[in-house]
Amino acid sequence: MRINVARRLTHRLSSWRPVNDASVNAFVCIAPPTPSAPDPGLPLNGVSVGLKDMICTTDMPTTSASGMLRDFTSPFDATVVTLLRAAGAHIAGKLNCDEFGMGSLNVHSIHGAVVNPFQAPSVAASVPWTEREKRSAGGSSGGSAAAVAAGLCDAALSTDTGGSTRLPAAYCGVVGLKPSYGLISRHGIVAFADSLDCVGIMAPTIARTKRIFDILNRHDPADPTSASHDSRAAASARAFDSWSSGVPSSLRIGVPAEYFPSELPPRIMSRVRAALARLKELGATLVPVSLPATPYALSAYYVLASAEASSNMARYSGVHYGMHVPAPAGEPPSMTAAAYARTRSVGLGSEVKKRILLGTYSLTADAFDNYFLQAQRVRRLVSEDFARVFRASAHSRDNRDAGMGGEGVDVLIHPSAMRVAPRLGEVDGSDGLDAYVQDVLTVPASLAGLPALSVPLPASGAEGSGDEDECVWPVGASVVGPWGAEEAVLAVGEMLEGLSR
Amino acid sequence: MLVLSCRPPIRLLARRLRRAFHDSRWPGWQVIIGIETHAQILSRQKLFSNSLNSGLGEAPNINVSPFDAAFPGTLPVLNQDCVDLALRTAIALDSKIQTRSSFDRKHYFYSDLPAGYQITQHYAPIALDGHLNIPNRDSPIRIKQIQLEQDTAKSVFDPHTRTSNIDLNRAGTGLLEIVTEPDLRSPEEAAGFVRTLQAMLRAIGASDGNMEAGSLRCDVNVSINSVGQPHGTRCEIKNLNGVKFIQAAIIFEVQRQRALLSNGYPVSQETRGFNSDTFETFKMRSKEEALDYRYMPDPNLGVIFITPERIEQTKQTMPELPWATRTRLTETYKLSEQDADILLSLGGGQEGSAVAYFDRLCKDRNPRVVFSWMVHELLGRLSAAKLTFADNPLSESQLGELVDLVHTGAITGTSGKLLLREILANPSQKTPTERARLMSLLSHDELDVDDLCVAAIAALPSEALAFKRGHMNVLNKILGWVMKESRGKADSKLVRERLVALLEQDRDA
Repeated sequence: MRINVARRLTHRLSSWRPVNDASVNAFVCIAPPTPSAPDPGLPLNGVSVGLKDMICTTDMPTTSASGMLRDFTSPFDATVVTLLRAAGAHIAGKLNCDEFGMGSLNVHSIHGAVVNPFQAPSVAASVPWTEREKRSAGGSSGGSAAAVAAGLCDAALSTDTGGSTRLPAAYCGVVGLKPSYGLISRHGIVAFADSLDCVGIMAPTIARTKRIFDILNRHDPADPTSASHDSRAAASARAFDSWSSGVPSSLRIGVPAEYFPSELPPRIMSRVRAALARLKELGATLVPVSLPATPYALSAYYVLASAEASSNMARYSGVHYGMHVPAPAGEPPSMTAAAYARTRSVGLGSEVKKRILLGTYSLTADAFDNYFLQAQRVRRLVSEDFARVFRASAHSRDNRDAGMGGEGVDVLIHPSAMRVAPRLGEVDGSDGLDAYVQDVLTVPASLAGLPALSVPLPASGAEGSGDEDECVWPVGASVVGPWGAEEAVLAVGEMLEGLSR
Repeated sequence: MLVLSCRPPIRLLARRLRRAFHDSRWPGWQVIIGIETHAQILSRQKLFSNSLNSGLGEAPNINVSPFDAAFPGTLPVLNQDCVDLALRTAIALDSKIQTRSSFDRKHYFYSDLPAGYQITQHYAPIALDGHLNIPNRDSPIRIKQIQLEQDTAKSVFDPHTRTSNIDLNRAGTGLLEIVTEPDLRSPEEAAGFVRTLQAMLRAIGASDGNMEAGSLRCDVNVSINSVGQPHGTRCEIKNLNGVKFIQAAIIFEVQRQRALLSNGYPVSQETRGFNSDTFETFKMRSKEEALDYRYMPDPNLGVIFITPERIEQTKQTMPELPWATRTRLTETYKLSEQDADILLSLGGGQEGSAVAYFDRLCKDRNPRVVFSWMVHELLGRLSAAKLTFADNPLSESQLGELVDLVHTGAITGTSGKLLLREILANPSQKTPTERARLMSLLSHDELDVDDLCVAAIAALPSEALAFKRGHMNVLNKILGWVMKESRGKADSKLVRERLVALLEQDRDA
C-alpha cells in the first residue's frame, strides 16, 4: 500500500516540468480510490490535496517519517481531513517530511530526502531531468512543497512549528501559509511542540491557498487551543478596519531592520528590495520598523520547541502502539529502563534524539529557570515587539513609542529564508547549527502565533550574470500580520503575486 | 469574665500540651504527619476525554479513547464537571479558590502512564490554604492545596505468565489531590482526618471515597523529633488504601525512626512502601534516587479562569456538609452526637442517604422512636444478615407505617419486631398493616385482655395470693402467663395495669 513514488499522479504534470516517478520522493503513500462521486456543489469539488504524513488518516498510515510509526495507522481522521472531505476535496495521499516535523531540509526521514522539483527553464532545455542537480526542498514540510511545485496535487497541507511551511515554500517556489495559532484545528496532527504547531497550507497560488484556508478556518471543540468563532471574526474585522478596507494606497508595510541581516545573500536582498519598491509604486507606504527582540528569538524557540518535543515524544515507548523492539533472550523482565531505551534508540532518528536530549535538559529542575522560563520571557518580548508595530493590535497606542508617529503598520514584509535551496550533497543536516540558523527569519512569527505567508518573488533581471543558477532558484518573501488577520495578509500576498505576472 | 472565657486556664493548657506531646507508645517523642490524599472524582467522564469512568469489576480496556492511550494527534479537553466537583471540595475545605490556575506535565516512564507524563497542577493549583476540623482536636488541620490531575492506568502482574497486564480503563480518570500541612500528631488523628475527609467527599458527591477499591488513596509523610526539638527528617509512605493501614504504617514508621535515632543513626529521607501482610514499611527509593519529573506547563490547556459568579453558584448548590448535618441532627432531633455519627456513617442506599431517609421518617414522628426502629431494629436485623443500609429493602413509607402501627397501639412492640423480621425475610409490595392482619398481629382484632387476666388469676391462685400479701414481684409470673397465652400479641403494659387492677379489686373486696 505504501509506495515511495507518485507514478499514478504523473499524468497531472505539465510538459515543461518533466518530473517523473521517484525523482522527487514527495509522496510516501497514495490514497486508495474514493467511492464518493464528485459533487459540483461543494467548494473544493475535484481539488486534490496531499497531506503531510503527520496528519492522521484512517485509510492510510501516518508515519511522521519516523521508524517509530512505520506501521502506524491512526484510529481517527484529523479534523482538517474531515473538513476537506466534507468540502469535496480528494485526498491525494501522504507526503514526506522531516521526522516529527524536526528539520529544515527534509533529509531526516525514513522515506529518504525530498528532492526539490524546481528546474530553471534554461537548464531544463539542455539537462535531462534525471541528471539535473538535486537540491533540498526544505523542511520539515518538504514533501508538501515539492508535491505542489511539481504539480503532483493541487494543494497540500503541511505543518509549521518554526518555519516548516514557509521555508520549503520559499525553496520550492510555491505559496505557503502558516495561519495564526489556534485558527486551524490541531486535532489529529501529530504534535511536535503544541504551543507552536500550526497546520499550514501550500498551493501554487494565493487564491487556491485562500480557498483551502476558508474551509479549514473554523472552531473545533476537540482542540482546546482552537479560537472561538467570535474572536476570529473580531480579529479579521479589526485588521481590515485599520487598513481602510484593503486599498493598496492606504497599505502601510513595515520593513523590519532585523530581518535584513548582513549575512543575507545580496541576490535575495535585491529581489526582496525590488518587490518592496514595486509595492511602493502601487501606492503602499514603506515604514522601517525595529523588532529588537528578534536576535534572541531563535535561541528561545529552540529551548521551548525542544522542551515540548521531549515531552511529546515520551509517548513513543513501544508499549501501547508503534515500534517495539523485543528484549534479547535472557534479559530480566524487570529492566524497565532498558526496554524503553532499546525501542527508542532504534525507532527515533538522530535529529529527534538530539532535540529530546536538549529539551530534557532544559526541563530538569536545575536548568528550568535559566532555560525554559527565560525562553518564555523572550517569547513574551517577541510578541510585544510585534504588538507594538501593528496598527490593528491592541497595543497600537504604543506605536508612538516605536517611532511610528502614532500609526502602526498593517503587515511586515521580509525575506522568508537566508538562502535559496541548498544542494542535497552539500547538506546532510548533521551540522545542526547551520540548519537551525535557517529558521531565524521564521521563528519570531511562530513564537508570537501570528499569520505568516511566504510568496514566491519574481525572478530577478540579473540573468546572464556570473551566478546564473543561484539567481533563478526561487526566493520567497514573507508577509506577517497581526493575529487573525489572514485576509489582510493574503490580500497583500496577492499584490506580491501580481508582480510576477 | 469575657477574658477568662477566651483564655483557657493554665491547667487546661498544660493538659492539652501534655496530650499533644506525650504518647505512652513513644514517650518523649513528637510525631509529625502530613497526608496527600488522591480521591477519584465521581464524574461520568474522564478528566480530559469523553470516555466513561469505570466501575469495579468492569472488563479491562473497555473505556478507552485514543487520548487515554496517548495516541498521536490527540488533545486534552477539560471536563468542567470535574472542575465543579473540585470547586465543591475547595469550598467544603474552606480554601481559597484561585481565579487563575493551570496544568503542568509531570514526566516519567512507566507502562501505566501511556503519554510518558501525567497532567497535574504543579505550579498553580486550583485552590490553596484550606482547613478541615476533625474529631477530638481543637485546631483544624490546614490544607496546603487542592489540585486536579489524571489517574494512571492500572498494571496487574500475573505471576503465572510472569507478565504485567495493563488496563487503561482508569487512565485519565480525574483525581483530586488534597495535601495537608504537617499538622497531624498521631496515627489516630491521621485516621480521623481521612475518615472526616472521606465523609465530606461522599456527602458532596466529589468521590465515592472507597479505599478498598482504590478510589481514595493516601501518601503519608512521617517524621519524629524529641519534644522541644525541630522537626526530624520525613519519610513518605506511598499508596496506603485503608484507614487501618494508614495507622499501622505510621506506628511502624514511628517505631522504626525511633529505633534509628535512639541508636544514634540518622533517618534518611526516602520513599517507602507498605506491606499490608506484614504491616511493615519498606524502602523504595532514597532522596538521591528521586526522579526529576521535569515539570512543564501544559501547552494545550491554558489557564482555568474561575469567576466569583461560578464560586457563588457552586456555594448555592452545595449539598449539606457532614458537620452541618451532624449539628442539625443533634440540635433539631436532639440525637446524641454518637447517634448522629452512626446515621452519618451509614452512607446511602436505594432510598438515598441514611440521613435523608431518617429526615423523611421523622416528619410527624418522634425522632428517638424513629432512630430506635431504624438503627436498633432495622439495621440490627440487616447486619445480623451481613447486610448494610445499602441493602435495605424497606421503603421509608413501609418503615414509617410499621412505626405508626406500634405507636398507635395497633400492634405491640413485640409484634412490630416480628413484622419487621417477616418483611425483611419476604419483601413485597404489601403494606405493613396488610401483613400484620395476615399474621394476626393486630391487637384489637380478637384479643380480650380482661378475659385472659381473669383466667391467669384463676390459673395461678397461689401467686395471686402472694401478690395480695405484698409480694409485688410475683406479678411478673402472672403477666408471663398472659403473654404466653396471647402468643405475645397482648400489650404487656396494658396487661400489667389490668392485672394490678383486678388483684387489688379482689383484695379490697
